Amino acid sequence: MSKEYTYDTREAFLEKLEAMTTAGVKPEAITTLTPFHVHEAEHILKTKPSALRFFTLFGALAGFFLSFAFILFTVFDWPLITGGKPLISIPAFIIVAFECTILIGGIVSLLGFLHLSRLPDIKRVFEPRECGSQFIIIEESATDSHRLSQEEEK
Amino acid sequence: MSLKLFYDQVEQDVLGAMRKPKPVYWIALAVSALAFAGGLSAWAYQIFTGMGVAGINHPVGWGVYITNFVFWVGIAHSGTLISAVLFLFRAQFRSAFNRIAEAMTVIAVLTAGLYPLIHLGRVWRFYYLLPYPNQRQLWVNFRSPLIWDVFAVSTYLTISLIFFYVGMIPDLAAARRHFTGIRHWVYKTLSLGWEGTTNQWRHYNRLYIFLAAFATPLVVSVHSVVSWDFAMSIVPGWHSTIFAPYFVAGAIFSGTAMVMTLTIPMRKILKLEKYITVNHYEKLAKVLLFTALIVSFSYIVEILLAAYSGNVFEATVFKYRMTGHYRFLFWLMMFCNVLLPLSLFIKKLRRNIKYLFILSLFVNVGMWLERFNIIVTSLAKEFNPYSWGTYTPSIVEVAITIGSFGMFFTFFLIFSKVLPVLSISEIKEQGNE
Repeated sequence: MSKEYTYDTREAFLEKLEAMTTAGVKPEAITTLTPFHVHEAEHILKTKPSALRFFTLFGALAGFFLSFAFILFTVFDWPLITGGKPLISIPAFIIVAFECTILIGGIVSLLGFLHLSRLPDIKRVFEPRECGSQFIIIEESATDSHRLSQEEEK
Repeated sequence: MSLKLFYDQVEQDVLGAMRKPKPVYWIALAVSALAFAGGLSAWAYQIFTGMGVAGINHPVGWGVYITNFVFWVGIAHSGTLISAVLFLFRAQFRSAFNRIAEAMTVIAVLTAGLYPLIHLGRVWRFYYLLPYPNQRQLWVNFRSPLIWDVFAVSTYLTISLIFFYVGMIPDLAAARRHFTGIRHWVYKTLSLGWEGTTNQWRHYNRLYIFLAAFATPLVVSVHSVVSWDFAMSIVPGWHSTIFAPYFVAGAIFSGTAMVMTLTIPMRKILKLEKYITVNHYEKLAKVLLFTALIVSFSYIVEILLAAYSGNVFEATVFKYRMTGHYRFLFWLMMFCNVLLPLSLFIKKLRRNIKYLFILSLFVNVGMWLERFNIIVTSLAKEFNPYSWGTYTPSIVEVAITIGSFGMFFTFFLIFSKVLPVLSISEIKEQGNE
């Protein structure tokens, strides 16, 4: 069985969270539901920095290099010699590559976010746990948290 | 009021605005939808009859369609400015406008995106613009500014849509609790099972920052690319290095004015005066004034560049703008974009909502005229006096232009009743501070 604590204010919620972690409850056994982002909760639960930055970096770099490579391929595949311009017109190509950096970077970031925060969560789409305007702490019991950590290991 | 009550009140007010509309809403929707339908019919007529029904001619091959394209892309820009740039600068007043501005961005880009297709004439050939392996064995010309446009505008649409949607996920989760029936299921599905766990918020917050960081250079690049559609040519009056910054400032200027035009009646109809306050408008008015000054400065620089260039063609075009066939439009533009916004130096006027609404309408007109002036006057008086000419929009072009406003307002009105118009989670967070 898991225990649930509900608070109306952020301060009371943070106090309880602090008390729980100092009392030795493992952060992995704690789930919080909040109506907005509470930065302090991350510090108390000692969460690692989000890995999303790697997705963003990868997406942006991939967008730039892939689009540039693609443009070069099209230029060589069917050379369009117009206006006495060089076949490889770097400044012109950079503009398209720049847009693709942002396009692919943004899309990969979104996918990365969905992956990291386990969304869409089909089970929760149908039966979401609602916090409304309140701050909720759910403490998984020992057996639950054991199961949880096993699942995470997988 | 206790915080819990405040939080509940925010939800009630914002989500309450999405409930049954009043007659005034239906009238507005009917008028917009009618204009939209009129525009669509005019476009259909143009497709069936041919481009001859449009007023564009030789030498003025770009008319109101391209004017509208640039105008709507410009309108789209302040959405990103308000949501992304002001977010990175931690300007808290953005939370009153950011959702509306983001919706405006998406809808304006959709509207803008139609214009190159309308201008194309044979719209069914639009896919020639896309680079994909084809039987023609040709690729698009990546050296052409028009292809840069394809990439810039489609990237802008995609990123704005992602930004708009991601920002809304927590609010959709709030909406699913307040509605029943089909709306409940739609919000439930769209919120993807969001619960607001620490883990979700952690990644969400990162994503929002990254998207804002992406959107900021994007907003600068998109209108720069649009300006290069002109500046890369050798047409006098277009071939200028000032075009990119000048267009970006103009875009933010017109977009900010459009945010005012939309939100001032909206806050009244949806009873959101508590959340979009006079203080918020005053700050927005300062943004408007600031960008108006940049735009005015650009006008001066542009004219001086032409005067000092020693280039007879460049000088002729600018003289023509001020004294030629379209001089009335030029001076009206100057009045709307340069003179009138200076009144915002007076605090009393910055805080007068009615005045701001009227001013924003003038700025919208002025900015539309700016694009018309740049496009039409330059083409009307190019190098060779033999080919000089004038252009007047045809009834079909006018109908399509009105139709695009109809489309914009129709979509916006639907948005205001279907999705939360304010960022609930952000207002709650600020209320807490």
